[in-house]
Amino acid sequence: MSEQVLVEAKDLVQKFFFKTILNGVSLQAYAGECLGIFGLRGSGKTSLLHILAGVDRFSSGTVKVLGDDIKKSQLFKQRTGLVTQEPSLFQDLNVIENLDYIAALKNAGHADIERVIALMELHDSLRHPVTALDAGIYQRLSLACALLNSPQVLVVDELIKDIDLFSRHLIIKQLKPFLQSGGTCICGFSNIEMLIHTDRTGWLDNGRLEFYKPSDLREKWTTMLNSFQEPGDA
Amino acid sequence: MFKTNLMIMRRELGYMWRDRGLRNILLLGPLLGILLFAAIYSAQTITNIPTAIVDLDRSASSRDMAGKMENAPNLKVVSYLQSYEELEESIQQGIIVVGVLIPENFGRDVALHRHTRVLLIIDASNTIFATNASTAVLGVTRTLSAEIGVRTLLAQGMDPIKAKNMYVSLDLKEEGWFNPTLNYAYFLVLALALNIWQQCCSIAASINIIGETGVKSWLQIKAAGFSKIQLFVSKSIIHITVFMVMALLIYFIAFGIFKIPLACKLSTLLLFTLVFTVALHSIGTLMSSIAGNAVDSTRFSMMVALPSFVLSGYTWPIEAMPGFLQPVVWVIPQTWFFQGFNYLSFKNPGWQFMASYFWALIAFALICYSLATVITAWKER
Repeated sequence: MSEQVLVEAKDLVQKFFFKTILNGVSLQAYAGECLGIFGLRGSGKTSLLHILAGVDRFSSGTVKVLGDDIKKSQLFKQRTGLVTQEPSLFQDLNVIENLDYIAALKNAGHADIERVIALMELHDSLRHPVTALDAGIYQRLSLACALLNSPQVLVVDELIKDIDLFSRHLIIKQLKPFLQSGGTCICGFSNIEMLIHTDRTGWLDNGRLEFYKPSDLREKWTTMLNSFQEPGDA
Repeated sequence: MFKTNLMIMRRELGYMWRDRGLRNILLLGPLLGILLFAAIYSAQTITNIPTAIVDLDRSASSRDMAGKMENAPNLKVVSYLQSYEELEESIQQGIIVVGVLIPENFGRDVALHRHTRVLLIIDASNTIFATNASTAVLGVTRTLSAEIGVRTLLAQGMDPIKAKNMYVSLDLKEEGWFNPTLNYAYFLVLALALNIWQQCCSIAASINIIGETGVKSWLQIKAAGFSKIQLFVSKSIIHITVFMVMALLIYFIAFGIFKIPLACKLSTLLLFTLVFTVALHSIGTLMSSIAGNAVDSTRFSMMVALPSFVLSGYTWPIEAMPGFLQPVVWVIPQTWFFQGFNYLSFKNPGWQFMASYFWALIAFALICYSLATVITAWKER
């Protein structure tokens, strides 16, 4: 991990009608770092990740990705990849057509398509419609699409939740070389088992983000769980 | 850039083809429409209007009149009835459309040049049938009254040539222009098929924006940072091309197979259709920018497309509509199209006259696309 900041958010506020989703969130993600964003359902993880990927607007604050103020420039998107929590691939296209189409949108070439197919071992599923894919293959395809433009910043939301072990292994395996090459991964999750794959994690609660080392966060989580246990509970 | 546009166009074409519902609406709707309407109006004019005669006189004069009714071009005498009551029952049951009641003493009164009255009854419950029936009956009655009039004058001692001249001194010559035979097929088949076509196109166009922004894959497009204008221009080119291909097929069937006459050049009509297609697409795009989902967008578009043909004044003149409605109907592009289409297909009034129709449709397109852009940008903010 280097000292180079690739993503920086300051005093980020996101309001949806009268509800404050993010209330002064600040973060920095460094090159080579996997930054986790932990939070329970409805805590605002997805909103935060979508803002960082430039697909959602925000009420106030500043966000810089790869040096670009995202309110002023879209150039950072050429070197950013996004895997969404909800399935967001093109439902009317099959696997290879999705790769082709998203490659065209990202101005990526045929070699990039071949590369991500090999990385995510998608050869056997290329002609399958995305609506018929298993969750694991779908997630591998989502990551493949996000990697098409060889991004430096990867924003992923619930990357390995509820998928088969092989796909999980394959996805985690690809994160390592990505980080070693100087990329940064910002990873949203609600299942504590993703924690071991992060270097640093922020806990998002009530619109506020607090950072912990993975071991400290796990301890806090366990303490919280235990606090709800009553005498006599197993 | 060009490669990306081609990719978007290819995907849009693939989407339109793979979506079975959309494909059927676009392909089968207009084609079935023109084939069906061509079959319905294949007779071209209404002939053999079922007619019944009640001859209460049974004289040579009444038989002569009945004979003239039998020989009338579009009437078909299907029965001779005994009484007015039978005639009334036959009309009520829809067996006949025209009833002729020749009164008792008809022959004697004609011979004595007395006033006599022949009752002609027309079933007016179907106005198209009734209009044709009354035209056919009028042809016979006009000839008959002239003959009787001349005979009366002769009986009064007038010179035969003078008597005849008296009736022909005013020569009312009727000439139906542009559609002399009042051919229903020429007037309605293509217009009705184009009405189905514009409705189907409206449905397809109404998913232009919401079809992307209303689904999760919109995140992929936003994350890629791809130009939204470029995306919608590429999609719109495919939509308009597909709509025009369908219009071409309809025109081929209408002019090539069914030989419906066309007063203007085909290229002029195609250009006019293209301008209308763009205007139509712009309305769909506007609806798809306003609506919260694809279903609502289709509903909004159909609210305009469904009544537009009736409002266009093609079948019922705009001048005969209520005063408050007359300016309103010009706010929908279908009115400009169907009015302009009528001029081009029957009259070919020339560029100078048609220019306002072209400009009106272009203005519609510019306004609707601009509004759609503003609304989409506002919703995305």
